[in-house]
Amino acid sequence: MINIFMFNRKLNGKVTQAELDGDVFIGVELTPAQKKEAARCYAEAMKKDKEEMTEKVRATLIHTHIRGRIDSYLATKKYDPAMSFGYFLKEYIDKLELKRKDFAAQIGIDETQLSQLINGHRLPPDYMPIRLEIHSNNRIPAGHWYKLVTMEKEHYIKTDMEIRKKQRKYVHNPLYPQTVRAGGKSNGVLDGR
Amino acid sequence: MRGVKGKVYRFCKEFNIFVMEILEVRSGLRKPVVVEVVEEKDFKILTKRRYSFRWKSLKGQADIYKLHIEEEADILGVMGLIDVPEERRIEIKLLANSRENQGRNKLYDRVAGCLIAYACYLATTKYQGDAGVSLAPKTNLIKHYMQKYQMSYRGWQMFLNREAMDYLLDKYFYV
Repeated sequence: MINIFMFNRKLNGKVTQAELDGDVFIGVELTPAQKKEAARCYAEAMKKDKEEMTEKVRATLIHTHIRGRIDSYLATKKYDPAMSFGYFLKEYIDKLELKRKDFAAQIGIDETQLSQLINGHRLPPDYMPIRLEIHSNNRIPAGHWYKLVTMEKEHYIKTDMEIRKKQRKYVHNPLYPQTVRAGGKSNGVLDGR
Repeated sequence: MRGVKGKVYRFCKEFNIFVMEILEVRSGLRKPVVVEVVEEKDFKILTKRRYSFRWKSLKGQADIYKLHIEEEADILGVMGLIDVPEERRIEIKLLANSRENQGRNKLYDRVAGCLIAYACYLATTKYQGDAGVSLAPKTNLIKHYMQKYQMSYRGWQMFLNREAMDYLLDKYFYV
């Protein structure tokens, strides 16, 4: 295997115009001693940086973090009950270190409604993703929040057999005899297969 | 870090959420771009002649990402990243715009900026408030990176502090 060292240049190596223009970057490989020193300095600098971080920057990084996690989850296209709208909403509030009462006031709902949303006891109204988008300064688009809700709904619609049993009595199509398999599993007729 | 990230922008495409844009220098038009993990077939076209390195040689040693315009296959920029979990940072090892996007007569601007902002996005997704993006440049480039990307230099390497990451995310990622 060709080692990454083949790309290395010396610290004081010749610099090309493309590098000066910022169009090409070639990382230098540090020696083990330099790496150790670099790690120590980096840890010190980042610690100081964290202490001096403004609220705005902290909020941006939290928004980006939550946004990235929602991105990653949605990209899998597999429903995971643990990754619900309520879960990410709770993450959002907790990471921003906001009290629920304060956050509810910031997005114009009452605390009880917020708790119901977090615990999955009610579906978010259409305005909720929009308010969350605005609250995050557009960093977590409403579409992301909305997709979390639709993924849950889609899963429910696809898998809930009880609702099929309940709805059966309202449908009368003489062409298709509607039956439900033992154990509550649909025979495919009721769920449109 | 790989795999799922490659699908993120397919999701964004589906929901019409294009998060980054490059600038066509001649027309002044902005075009939405996608950053994805390089696929095996891409290595055939990632030649040293057009992309400054033999990127295939980096396979298995770094996560390699490509940038292209949405709905177009042509790769405009490539970046090699190394995750350093013990320091909660991502290191940019290599980055190159395609040959026609280098220099004064480049076709598109903001290619390198979008790639660096994407590295910030990945680091922040993974490490949240502790996230960092670093690189180890040649000595002669230190001042340049300080000015262009607001990077700090300490202990043989340059890094983006949180404020600089916020600046780059705002400038290139959230448009």
